[in-house]
Amino acid sequence: MSEARSAKPLIVRKLIVDERNELFDARAMRSLEFVSDFSRIREYAAVILEPCPDAFKEGSLLEQQLSEIIKNGIKHGNRCDPSKRLRVWFDFRKRVRFIVEDEGEGFAGLDDWNDFYRRRQEALHNQDLDAFLALASYRGPRSDDSDGGNSLIAALEYWNGGMIYNEARNKVGVVRWYTGGSAHGAERSTTR
Amino acid sequence: MEWKCVSPGDRPDGEIVLSGDFDLYNAPRFSAYALRGIADGWTGLTLDMGGVEYLDSTGVGSIIRLSQALRAKGGRLRVRGLNDTPRRVLKLSNILPIIEEIR
Ligand SMILES: Nc1ncnc2c1ncn2[C@@H]1O[C@H](COP(=O)(O)OP(=O)(O)O)[C@@H](O)[C@H]1O
Ligand SMILES: [Mg+2]
Repeated sequence: MSEARSAKPLIVRKLIVDERNELFDARAMRSLEFVSDFSRIREYAAVILEPCPDAFKEGSLLEQQLSEIIKNGIKHGNRCDPSKRLRVWFDFRKRVRFIVEDEGEGFAGLDDWNDFYRRRQEALHNQDLDAFLALASYRGPRSDDSDGGNSLIAALEYWNGGMIYNEARNKVGVVRWYTGGSAHGAERSTTR
Repeated sequence: MEWKCVSPGDRPDGEIVLSGDFDLYNAPRFSAYALRGIADGWTGLTLDMGGVEYLDSTGVGSIIRLSQALRAKGGRLRVRGLNDTPRRVLKLSNILPIIEEIR
């Protein structure tokens, strides 16, 4: 990073809680249920994406972003309890939409996370590399070696039509829009 | 994912060639390996990622941890041969500023 502050204004996105958001409208969406098996997360993502048109996959990017949401539900939500299920609704018509619901206690630290993300973006904006490195990964109360602590950062950019949690914070709705086979820029993010 | 250490023994910098999926099932083992190398003396580290087509947030987390460990020793992480999708994942995660890309 160079010394100068970047001239661009700082815009910080947020995770949003909105029970009645249209992203939770599951009518006309197909769904599948999975047992909370950590070792099968990527396999689940691949199964869900079988009917997805290749034009939406962007290499392995879509698979990776879906795997992250599935992992969060299985590991953080259901705590890998095999008696708890993960349900995934999906729709690949014109855009990619998912709703992922776990049976856990919900993402209690969501506001903390938004605060973490704001500080991280500020450090980046101020080109303060040490502050940024210290904030590069989110560490929750149960984070371990398999938690990179950065998937939601990428998710806020990637899901360019929004990423919304329900009131209980155990269900997330996401959408990615595409134009002519490529994705929209970030300008559509988190519209309500 | 498999990896091979190719650093010449007479230099304080490590170099590792990776291939396969840098994901939640592999990244923790890799972190442990590379962090040991840093603890045992590497002050810089180059990752050759030409053989990696899949990178997820656990892999990104591994890259962040290595960067932090190297920074504490005044060193830096370098990455070579980034493929398109892993590069997009790093860009989305906003961590391209902390790594140095070399050819
Ligand atoms: N479905 C969920 N239920 C409970 N907590 C969650 C859920 N999804 C995310 N979280 C919380 O959000 C944090 C950040 O998630 P993420 O960015 O994916 O990083 P990581 O999964 O690597 O910790 C997690 O550590 C966890 O505390
Ligand atoms: Mg995660």
